[in-house]
Parts: sequence; C-alpha cells; structure tokens
Amino acid sequence: MAEKKKAVIVGGGTSKFGVRQAHLLDMVQEAMKACSDDIPALKPADIDGLIVATTMAGRHSSALNTAPLVVHRLGLKPTSICIRLDTLCAGSNSAIIVAKGLVESGIAEVILVTGAEKVYMPQRWETNYTQLAVNDHDWDSAMGLGVPPPFFAMIAKMHMKRYGTTKEQMAHVSVVNYNYGTDSPMAHFCGRTLTIEEALDARIIADPFGLYDCCPLSDGASAIIIASEERAREMTDRPLVYLRGTGQHATHSMSAGWPGETLAEWPHLKTAADTAYKNARLTPKDIDVAQTHDCFTISEIIELEELGFCKKGEGGEFVASGAIKLGGSIPTNTDGGLLMYGHPFGASGARQAIEICKQLQGRALHQVKDARFGLTHNLSGTCSQHTVVVYGQEPVE
Amino acid sequence: MADVEKVEIVGTPALDGTYISEMDMWPFECQEFNRIYPFYEHLRDGKFTTTKCKKCGHIAFPPGVICPRCWSEELEWVELPQRARVVTFTETQAGAPIGFPPPIIMAWLSFGEGSPLKQLLSRIVNCKEGELKEGDEVKFVVFDVPSHPIEVKKETKICDRVYYAFEPVK
Ligand SMILES: [Zn+2]
Repeated sequence: MAEKKKAVIVGGGTSKFGVRQAHLLDMVQEAMKACSDDIPALKPADIDGLIVATTMAGRHSSALNTAPLVVHRLGLKPTSICIRLDTLCAGSNSAIIVAKGLVESGIAEVILVTGAEKVYMPQRWETNYTQLAVNDHDWDSAMGLGVPPPFFAMIAKMHMKRYGTTKEQMAHVSVVNYNYGTDSPMAHFCGRTLTIEEALDARIIADPFGLYDCCPLSDGASAIIIASEERAREMTDRPLVYLRGTGQHATHSMSAGWPGETLAEWPHLKTAADTAYKNARLTPKDIDVAQTHDCFTISEIIELEELGFCKKGEGGEFVASGAIKLGGSIPTNTDGGLLMYGHPFGASGARQAIEICKQLQGRALHQVKDARFGLTHNLSGTCSQHTVVVYGQEPVE
Repeated sequence: MADVEKVEIVGTPALDGTYISEMDMWPFECQEFNRIYPFYEHLRDGKFTTTKCKKCGHIAFPPGVICPRCWSEELEWVELPQRARVVTFTETQAGAPIGFPPPIIMAWLSFGEGSPLKQLLSRIVNCKEGELKEGDEVKFVVFDVPSHPIEVKKETKICDRVYYAFEPVK
C-alpha cells in the first residue's frame, strides 16, 4: 500500500462579512479573489476538487445544487470531487475534514473549500423565519424556536446557577474578541471597540444576554486551499500547516435528546475534542492558539472548559483572568471570532482555519508568539453537533 | 382546548393564505404525508404519546417508524407524563419568527425520575410575561393551529391541525 499523503492548509481569504449589498455568488467570487491574493501562485487549473459549504443557499439564493454554480463563477474544472455540504454552522469545518481524507488517500490533490451564506433578505422577517427550518422543524421549531438566543440564554442561566458564572465574566469574552477583531478589515464590526461597561449596559436580547453577548448573523464567504504537502510546496514558500487531527460528534437533533446532565454540560463537545486530540497525538496543553465557536459569550466559556483549557465550571473566571488574551495561556478567537468578525454559518469554519494557518505561519495580525499547534471548533444546530480540527507546524509521524 | 393561535387562516399566516409547504411553521400531520400521524390524532384526544419498542422496550421521543436503539419495526404507542417542572426559561421579545406572537416564553422542562422523556424544550402558553418561575409545575395543553390544503385528484382537501405546549398549573 502506498504511503498515506499529508494534507496541509495552504492559505485563504474571506469576503467582507456583514449586511452586504451582494449576491451569494458575488461573495464567493470575492472570497476566491482574497484566497488568490493570499496564494499568488494558485491558478484555477490547479484546483481538482471543490467542496461548497452552505445552509441557506437553497432557500435564500434559490441555489439548491450550489457546487456547479461555484464551478462556473470561479472558472474551475474539478475532476476529483465537486459537492455541496451542509452542517449548518460547521459547514466549512466539516468540509475540511472531508478534504483531509480525500487528500491523504490520494483521491484529490488540491481542494478548494468555500463556505458562503446570503442571510439578509429584502424583507428582514424572512431571515428569522428561515431559522425554523434549521432547527428540528416539526418539534423544537414548532415550539417557536427560531434564532438561537433563547436556547443559549437558558444555557447561560444554567451555567450561572451551577457554577456561579457572572454577566461581567461573559462580558470579558466580547470585549477581548472585539479588541482582537477591530483591525480585521473584513470583519462585520471592523473599527468598533467595546468596553466592559458598554457590554454590560447594552440592551437585553434574551435575559441574561445583552446585545454584545450575541454574535451577529452575517452575509459572507470564505475560501481556503487544502492540498497535499507536495503540491503545497509548489504553490508557496511559507511554512506548511498540517491538518493533524479531526473529530466530529453528533448526538441528537431536538431537545429531548440533549446529552448533558444539564444544559451547562456539553459532553458531546468533550467527545469530539478527545477524538481530535487523539488523532493529532496532542493534549489540550500542547495547543497554543484556538478559534472556538463564540456564537454567544457563554459558548466560548463552556467550550474552553470542554476543550480542556480550564477545569469544568471555571470558564467564567478563566476568561476574566486574561487567559484568552495575547500572552495568556490560550489566546482565543484572535481574529475577533463570530462575535466580532461575524457569522455567515457555512463560512465560519474556513474563516477560523485561515486565522490558525496565519498564526502557525507567524503572520497573524495578533500573532501568538511561537505558536506551533492550533485548534478550531464549531458547534452546529441547537448545540447538537461539535466539530474540532487540530493543526500543527509538523505532521503526525 | 386553549385558545392560543388564530385559526381562521388556511396555510401559512406569513403568506396571507397562500400555502407553500417550504414556508410552513407546523408539521405535516395528516396520514397522506406522515407515518407518525397517530401522534397528532392522540393530541386531539388530549393524549401526549410516543412509540415504544416491543423488542427492546426502548421509549423514543420523538416517535418514529423504527426503534432508534435496535431498529425494530415492532412498535406500540404509549402515553407520556403530562406534568413537568420548569428548570429554566427565557422570555423573548425580539427576533421571534413571524407567526408566533411575542413574547414567546420558552422553558427547559424536566419530567423527573422514572419518566422515559427526561427533558424537553417547550413553549409556555396561557402565561403572562413575568409570571413564570423556576421550579413551577406546568401541564400539557393542546390547541388548534392553521390547517393546510392538499390536492386529492381535482379536489382540495383541508387538513386541520393541532399542536401542543405546556401551561402553568394554577
Ligand atoms: Zn428497540
């Protein structure tokens, strides 16, 4: 049997995230342009595989079979794989797992992973209404669950009750992430900053969440190149960033199947993380920088616990201690995260991968000194699935 | 039955009477489109039910046509508890999907020891904002929701629908 190939992320870019005056396919083209600027040697003919991650395209852009549309608009002629993939907020991170397997097995050599969403509609009500179809429609959605704030607000209330987490500790997450993202030109809230006082004084969205505890919904697209080590060396002189390990764990779709003792425990994330760490031959202590799914401030707090960066229940104190800032034990969401950079569902995983790629190549805007290993995480659905990818400057030997 | 939703409209309230199933906020409940239609028929009788596996005894929720534990097709309908306790809850003013009148009060319910259904997210109806407290007991309630048309040969048949939620025990 031939030796297994090694998969790397070569580089990537995003469109501007935000409330965009643009079609879905405009934003995919913008992301491809940004990716091409990041990897100047890359040509359309180099790409033999395409994975498009999107949830809303079918409904909001009348584009159910999205991959051929992207092929045409980007001038691609894929020969190994050409698919659309949907795992909601984990779409492009799931695509990275698939791309890794295809490259390692030799089925594909150079894969474009792109994630894109057009969220905002000519009438705003439609955006919230579409959310009924991304939850378990016939059950939780029929209870009135549309956009996720009410569900995560209950998670926050449980975490506050069981572990003493405070609104001020949650505010630390948004303040840190806003400060990281303020100079990211493509971020939804580029140029904005935030203080603890502003965060705590913001209008209430769903108790206990104020405005800055919640990430925005964003239009936007991202694009990255996953390639074999050999092909990557032909395209770039930068240090290679290897895909070391992945884990994806799903347990249920609607509330009756919730796997935790209460809403404050996410054992399904722990399982996904343990799987990724095992495949990467690493432990949480080895990780130098992380991009976690901060859809809400409480999410990042619980994720830091379940990913093993602090003890269960101590996430609130941990974020308030400065551990997630540069110089802290685990700088997290160093490009602003979902809270600041924005959240076009299927595009977010690849956006996180771009930041980890830059961190491990030593060229991030907020560079973590000597970062060798990085991690990305997405949750999706009503916190029913978790996706974790671990990257390193060296491959697993 | 509780008077919770407006029921004069056939189809999707957001679309003012025109029915596009893709835009429907409620399930297909009729026999023509759903093999678990007995669940909805039981709702009309005031019963909260699901499917139990005759092979392995597993009680699943939501109901299905096979057992998700052993994949047997030999299932029977059983009743679920109609009382639960509020573990935590949230009251949403903004961002509720159109068709659900705000405020939406949503609670995480616990059915207690011995119940095959341990926990559930449910809307709390017939309850004013500020009334509900953690630990409150709530009970199962059924109400009418908008019907939808289906084409049967050249005729149009109207499928009436119901749904359920929980309300405070007063
Ligand atoms: Zn069974």
